[in-house]
Amino acid sequence: MNAPVRPGTLSAGALPLSLPEPAIRFERVGKTYPGRRGQQPVGALAGIDLDVPAGTILGVIGRSGAGKSTLIRLVNGLERATEGRILIEGQDVTDLTESGWRQQRRRIGMIFQHFNLLSSRTVFDNVALPLEIAGASKAEITEKVERLLALVDLSDKSARYPAELSGGQKQRVGIARALATDPKVLLCDEATSALDPETTRSILALLRQVNRELGITILLITHEIPVIKEICDRVAVIEGGRIVEQGETFAVFTNPQHPTTASFVETVTGVELPEHLAQRIRKDARPGDNIVLRITFLGENATAPVISRLSGIVGVDVNILAGRIDAIAGQPFGSLLVSVPSRAPESDAVLGALKSLGLKAEVIGHVS
Amino acid sequence: MSPEIIRLIAQSTLDTLAMVAVAAGLGTLFGLPLGVFLATSKRGELFAAPAANLFLGTLVNATRSTPFIILVVAIIPFTRLIAGTSIGTAAAIVPLTVASTPFIARLIEGAVREVDQGLVEAARAMGATPVQIIRKVLVPEALPAIVLGLTLALVSLIGFSAMVGAVGGGGLGDLGIRYGYQRFMPDVMAAVVAVLIVLVQLVQSVGDRLARHLNKRLRHA
Repeated sequence: MNAPVRPGTLSAGALPLSLPEPAIRFERVGKTYPGRRGQQPVGALAGIDLDVPAGTILGVIGRSGAGKSTLIRLVNGLERATEGRILIEGQDVTDLTESGWRQQRRRIGMIFQHFNLLSSRTVFDNVALPLEIAGASKAEITEKVERLLALVDLSDKSARYPAELSGGQKQRVGIARALATDPKVLLCDEATSALDPETTRSILALLRQVNRELGITILLITHEIPVIKEICDRVAVIEGGRIVEQGETFAVFTNPQHPTTASFVETVTGVELPEHLAQRIRKDARPGDNIVLRITFLGENATAPVISRLSGIVGVDVNILAGRIDAIAGQPFGSLLVSVPSRAPESDAVLGALKSLGLKAEVIGHVS
Repeated sequence: MSPEIIRLIAQSTLDTLAMVAVAAGLGTLFGLPLGVFLATSKRGELFAAPAANLFLGTLVNATRSTPFIILVVAIIPFTRLIAGTSIGTAAAIVPLTVASTPFIARLIEGAVREVDQGLVEAARAMGATPVQIIRKVLVPEALPAIVLGLTLALVSLIGFSAMVGAVGGGGLGDLGIRYGYQRFMPDVMAAVVAVLIVLVQLVQSVGDRLARHLNKRLRHA
């Protein structure tokens, strides 16, 4: 699992055939809004091919207006596709009637950026709402709501009103509410975008737990790359209503193909030269210069003592300028900027040694 | 003031309360569904019926733009049809109800439109039917604003009820006109005004209190 092998970049057919039926499948899906009086129709999505494998977490990232809100709302029929097909657990939902969708929606939970809790209802009654809508009995509601509040660690807030809760607690109520009807799929619409980083982490951990322990497939949309890095098994990058890149998170992050992906990924994987060096760096080499290299560490190499090995093997002094080691979708990843002497034998030896260690090295420039 | 006059004031106060209560009750009965419909039937809304919305909206505006005293006179045949007479307390309830229904409907429409659309989306995402969305989301969430609106309607109705006195309706207005004005009894007029002020104050403070109690949005942990 999570092998850093790159599936074919753009097609949905890139998944191995041995995988079970995807929880959600988009086939050439497009969405066009009819133009208002006298105006051109507005295209929101086009040619979306996307599979969300059952039991995984897939994140769709894009800037505002890229079409991600529309994309997630197609899955529970809050928006209707104008082209293509959408399959949920193998069932074609594209042409469901509104009453068909109401039944379908009870099997799909959804949480929101602004939580959308009813201010007039207590925490308990908010979680009970979807069960009331589905016509559950009083006893069933009590049993289930208490269990869900225990799951999200809010049993003690049962009788409180949303206005008395913090943002993180509100989102926990939102998650409990979304799980009330035992959905197979959970949709997260910018679920952490209104939360501070620490609360975001705890909500993401809860989503991860829900995914692992209850086997719920999660489709989330976000504009925050750390959310993808933290919990998504797979990622799709959306821009201008099209998916420009998708694949396993680790593969996409460590080897982005599309410029949009690269600019998103840079904020979590990129390493900048310190200011005083960035000003002095040149493209051309002069005698006595040092080469500045960017070394990228993937998987197990990220934790190997590469620098000391390098010094040991080739006997060259390696000067570390900047670096970061992090985990992406649970796998270590590192990026290091180093300088080494640019004299011919040493620099060749360093590059050769890096290659033999299986590391990606890229010459950025030269400094004196 | 003679005991006779005091008895008259008490009786007129009860008449006014009865007229206002019945008219407000009926006005809410008709105005609540009408207001909810107006708030949910524009293009693209829950019960999208733009033509019906436009028709009812126009009707509501027409009724509301007619001055009350004109409305009372204009609908006398209708009042006779319903109440059997056009004079007295029972008859006054008819124009009061006709005037308060569109007023209450607009207040309720406003209250319902204030409800965060995100809540409607959340309820739709749970598989709620439009009727469930209204009963479980829109009306409960709008309730504090609805209560404030109904308080406003009650205060207006107390004023309107005094006006029907001018055309033979019963109650405090009738008393004020016949005794205070036509018989030159300023003390009766003053007493009528004082009772009306107390009534309005009571209604307003009870309404405010109730709305505050129902509003769970402003609590702090």
